[in-house]
Amino acid sequence: MNDLLRSLVEAYGPSGFEDALRDLIRPLVEPHADDISVDAMGNLLVHKSTAAAGALKVMIAAHIDEIGVMATHITEKGFLRFTNIGGVMPHTLLGNRVRFADGTIGVIGVDHSDDRGAIQPLSKHFIDVGATGREDCPVRVGDAAGFDRAFVARGNYLTAKSMDDRIGCYVAIEALRRLPADVPHDVTFVFSVQEEVGTRGAEAAANRILPDVGIALDVTRTGDVPEAKAMSVSLGDGPAIKVRDSGMIAHAGLVRLMRRRAEEAGIRYQMEVLDGGSTDARSMQVAGPGCAAGCISIPCRYVHSPSETVDSRDVEGCIQLLVALLSGSIDL
Amino acid sequence: MDTFDLLKRLTETPGPSGNEHAIAAALQEMWRPLVDETTIDRVGSLVAIKRGAGETEPRPRILLAAHADELGLMVTNIVAHGGNGFLRVTNLGGVDRRHLMGQTAVVHGREPLTGILGGLPDARLPERERGQAYTYDNLVLDVGLPIDRLRELVSVGDFVSFRQPLRRLQKNRVAGKALDNRASLAALTLCLEALQARRHTWDVVAVATAQEETIYLGAYTSGHAQRPDIAVAIDVCHAKGPGANDGELAELGGGPSLGLGAEIHPAVHRALKEAAEALEMSVTVSANARGAGTDAYALQTAREGIPTGLVEIPLRYMHTMVETADTGDVERAGRLLAEMIARLDDAFLPNLREELMRPDNRKDNGQ
Repeated sequence: MNDLLRSLVEAYGPSGFEDALRDLIRPLVEPHADDISVDAMGNLLVHKSTAAAGALKVMIAAHIDEIGVMATHITEKGFLRFTNIGGVMPHTLLGNRVRFADGTIGVIGVDHSDDRGAIQPLSKHFIDVGATGREDCPVRVGDAAGFDRAFVARGNYLTAKSMDDRIGCYVAIEALRRLPADVPHDVTFVFSVQEEVGTRGAEAAANRILPDVGIALDVTRTGDVPEAKAMSVSLGDGPAIKVRDSGMIAHAGLVRLMRRRAEEAGIRYQMEVLDGGSTDARSMQVAGPGCAAGCISIPCRYVHSPSETVDSRDVEGCIQLLVALLSGSIDL
Repeated sequence: MDTFDLLKRLTETPGPSGNEHAIAAALQEMWRPLVDETTIDRVGSLVAIKRGAGETEPRPRILLAAHADELGLMVTNIVAHGGNGFLRVTNLGGVDRRHLMGQTAVVHGREPLTGILGGLPDARLPERERGQAYTYDNLVLDVGLPIDRLRELVSVGDFVSFRQPLRRLQKNRVAGKALDNRASLAALTLCLEALQARRHTWDVVAVATAQEETIYLGAYTSGHAQRPDIAVAIDVCHAKGPGANDGELAELGGGPSLGLGAEIHPAVHRALKEAAEALEMSVTVSANARGAGTDAYALQTAREGIPTGLVEIPLRYMHTMVETADTGDVERAGRLLAEMIARLDDAFLPNLREELMRPDNRKDNGQ
């Protein structure tokens, strides 16, 4: 598990610059696909067809992009000012490292302030790539970087920079490997782009597929750390079946079906009500004539920090739940 | 059915955003004899089609959208206190937190459970929390069960609907929960009834949309699936009252308000206005330069773009349990919609395209 996951989380792929991830995932899933394609936005679509008459069209989405930064200005001394790609929190910046597509590493510094306790806004931060001026700076305005942090496994706890949502990609890849050849639905796994900037890849993919059922695989927050905002999701308590987040209320019938399948398969699960954030399920729900949308969430501590942490037992539960859902009938 | 009884039945049927099944089923039963087909679609909207008498195939169609969902709550946590069980909740839609304390609500768990929203008296709260609205951190929903039994019956993620009977005030005023937007669904019902006795050439697609209060879900999806030629959203608007900005607001009992603004096609607005003139009905115009926050927003951009109008029913105390409307406005909105539909003819669509090409004609600007 950890070798594949390490390669996924350590790969470079800020929103809009996901090529490396697509190239990494494609050979892994190709043996399990009836056909495979890349659409105009860069989504990787992995299709499993069925001979079953009247089969439902099911779309599964896990996003391959990650949050990051983009250079907006290069100073005379060769420092970069930058903007955020997705939900980057200023208090995670100082001392953090970023990596550009060509491998250039930058460290993040901050303008001096007499109030050392205050968190400075993103605009007061800069990136130092070791250049001395514009001439020798390897980065140009518009170049994007992801955060740079090594994967680490601590027992069941797995920590990395872009667990959001490479862990969802991992669940999708593993489910594709385990699914029987004759799944009774017309299923498309979408490795989607640009989720972090408004669930945009999944929106385009859903408009192409027009699914009857749409399920996102993504991380969710937990309430199990000191002084956390109250939330009844904990690491280690199993996959979280999403009922609501700030962008979507899941299809009530699909939620019931997920619970039933989890109970039948003996998978420990928890229910999720998330204040803040949303997933690709939002885009699938409103696309075209609408679909029954839901999300299997992987509980994750420290979301959108360089140390996003999940529990491998929850990950296994997510894979089992997805396989159980897709293997049986989907009666909403 | 008397308008009060109709409103009572509709407002007291639960339908929090995302769980509109009960209200959609009640409306389906009510509308089935009035239309040619009904279906509850994949996202939970009720779609009813009444075919027109026009012989041109395919017949043009007008979509009428009034949202079926109401504000509600959702269970976020089940907490124990000395053997007793309590529920923590969060909002579904734009709930006004200031009035939650003291409300009655129903948790839709394995069985429906009636509970109350309680919290510590103001004087017993920590000093920094006094004199302020209760938050979802210090409110509890108490159904009176011990923790073990509560955990058997209720899960995190269960829907909660408010419970409040519709009451008659003086004159034609009524007060209760969910008049936003069951007042409009009552108007739509009255419109379908009126159309039984009127010849109309266009197909009428009446939709009770799901999840308007959160993301306009049912308007996006029915606008796409039904491919209407034009659409009208029916919703509530703020009525005049003490403290309100009277210059911009509609009068309670003063007739429906016809929306104008970014989302509204002037020709659809004009068709509504001409219908009101034909009926000698008093209406007002509400100017929503940046949109009114209704299903019209989503309908306008569905498919290739749908020319959309907006009919609003004046309402006081919006998003509370004492929303107050006037039954006369509900009845007028129903009659107005029926009249507008009956007047639609083959010339309407070609004229509608020309209308936008004549910016100098002030009459066409809804003035």
